[in-house]
Amino acid sequence: MTLLIETLIQGISLGSIYALIALGYTMVYGIAKMLNFAHGDVIMVGAYTIYTTISLAHFPGWLGVLTSVVFCSVLGIVIEFLAYKPLRGAPSLNVLITAIGISYLLQNLALLIFGGQQEDVPNTGINVPSLDLGFVVVEGKVIFTIVLTVVLMIALTLFINKTKMGKAMRAVSEDKDAARLMGINVNRTISLTFAIGSALAAFASLCYGMNYTYIKPTTGSMPGIKAFTAAVFGGIGSIPGAMLGGFGIGILEKLSQAYITPIFGEITDVIVFGVLIIMLVVRPTGLLGKKIREKV
Amino acid sequence: MLRAENLNVYYGNIHAIHDVSFEVKEGEIVSLIGANGAGKTTTMHTVSGLLRSRTGSVTFMDKNISHTDAHKIVNMGIAQVPEGRHVFLQMSVEENLEMGAYTTPKTMKADLEKVYSLFPRLLERRRQVAGTLSGGEQQMLAMGRAMMSRPKLMLLDEPSMGLAPILVDQVFSIIKELHATGITVLLVEQNAGKALAISDRAYVLESGRVVLSGTGAELAASPEIKKAYLGG
Repeated sequence: MTLLIETLIQGISLGSIYALIALGYTMVYGIAKMLNFAHGDVIMVGAYTIYTTISLAHFPGWLGVLTSVVFCSVLGIVIEFLAYKPLRGAPSLNVLITAIGISYLLQNLALLIFGGQQEDVPNTGINVPSLDLGFVVVEGKVIFTIVLTVVLMIALTLFINKTKMGKAMRAVSEDKDAARLMGINVNRTISLTFAIGSALAAFASLCYGMNYTYIKPTTGSMPGIKAFTAAVFGGIGSIPGAMLGGFGIGILEKLSQAYITPIFGEITDVIVFGVLIIMLVVRPTGLLGKKIREKV
Repeated sequence: MLRAENLNVYYGNIHAIHDVSFEVKEGEIVSLIGANGAGKTTTMHTVSGLLRSRTGSVTFMDKNISHTDAHKIVNMGIAQVPEGRHVFLQMSVEENLEMGAYTTPKTMKADLEKVYSLFPRLLERRRQVAGTLSGGEQQMLAMGRAMMSRPKLMLLDEPSMGLAPILVDQVFSIIKELHATGITVLLVEQNAGKALAISDRAYVLESGRVVLSGTGAELAASPEIKKAYLGG
């Protein structure tokens, strides 16, 4: 019983990280109708920014984190502007291949700058005390991860539903031409979406770094692809879907590690991606995804 | 107020409209009529900036808007009610109207009341998602949404399309009401009879060319128009 509860808590914590990343995939898909496969590598960039600012430049922890968030947002805007904007209206395969190219570009830039060795994630100074519930002790980093994620999700939901810019984002994701006829600057709205998605990825990299103490140039790809699975699982394009999918995949992964690995060996990834395949076969729109109606 | 000269618009290699020129004077209702595929919507999208002409120019209130971004044209005082309504189906009625006021946030409250008094149905359904509205209600929402930006010129693309006859009459009487509040109207319609009846002037498009123009009454009386568009 204790193992189950501990596993579920760890699953929620890992799922929080996936959910933060999945939000970036799903928002960009919703608005630009493209899969931004470079998104996972933004996490890696966020982690290296924290490493550079705190370990190498000796910034205070909070400033390092803030720099990372700002840097990733700007990076998101720059990637969209340089790589994807020129392809607006191009076949989706071209955009997809470009995204994969950007992913390799970011990884290899990191390799060039920092080398292939692992680097330790610095202490950001964020220190949340552990919580002893009697039957189980919840680590401070787990509490921090979950609380930060929930706060960011609430903020994002309020932004999307209550603010003018957020509503404009929904309008653009639904009907670009109609949005332009309302006077909405579609390009700027897409840039904003990339900025928000990338900022969330930076927060994810902060949480990831606290839990997995080292980074290397390929650090972003596995959590990136798992979060993509989460976004598809929840219904790509749906914001609540990305949250639900993130937690779902995180919990599934931890449950599998706790109960299946001891018997069948390390097959967790097989199970996670198996779920993706089953979802695509049984319910291609995901848990909360909407049916896409093709316009005649 | 609006002057389009020598518009030539292409979709890839397809030459959709040929040397189209027309004019809308302040305070008029002007119609573009013609069959399916005649180039009416293409012409309208060229005015609102969604499409570009390779030649000629579009001038609005003495400013050349041929190369102005669509979202900036709204700000200058042109609002379009697109064909097929294109309301935001997943957003509430009120959110749709708020998007209409995107460029005019200061007057949004007052304009919401104006739209709701013109369309009481929308007030009843303001919290409802637009996708749950009937076709007629969606048309009213699209028209109300366009009013929210306080346009000087309103472009209406096939506002009566797909509506029951009783609603068609309602739509045309709303157009007259909007016009009475001082909005100049450019109307695209397949329902030529109704359109000509409320128009000061009209242009007839055929295969992407303007083939006839005149006052609404003249065209309604013309034997060619009667034969081609008014059922004999």
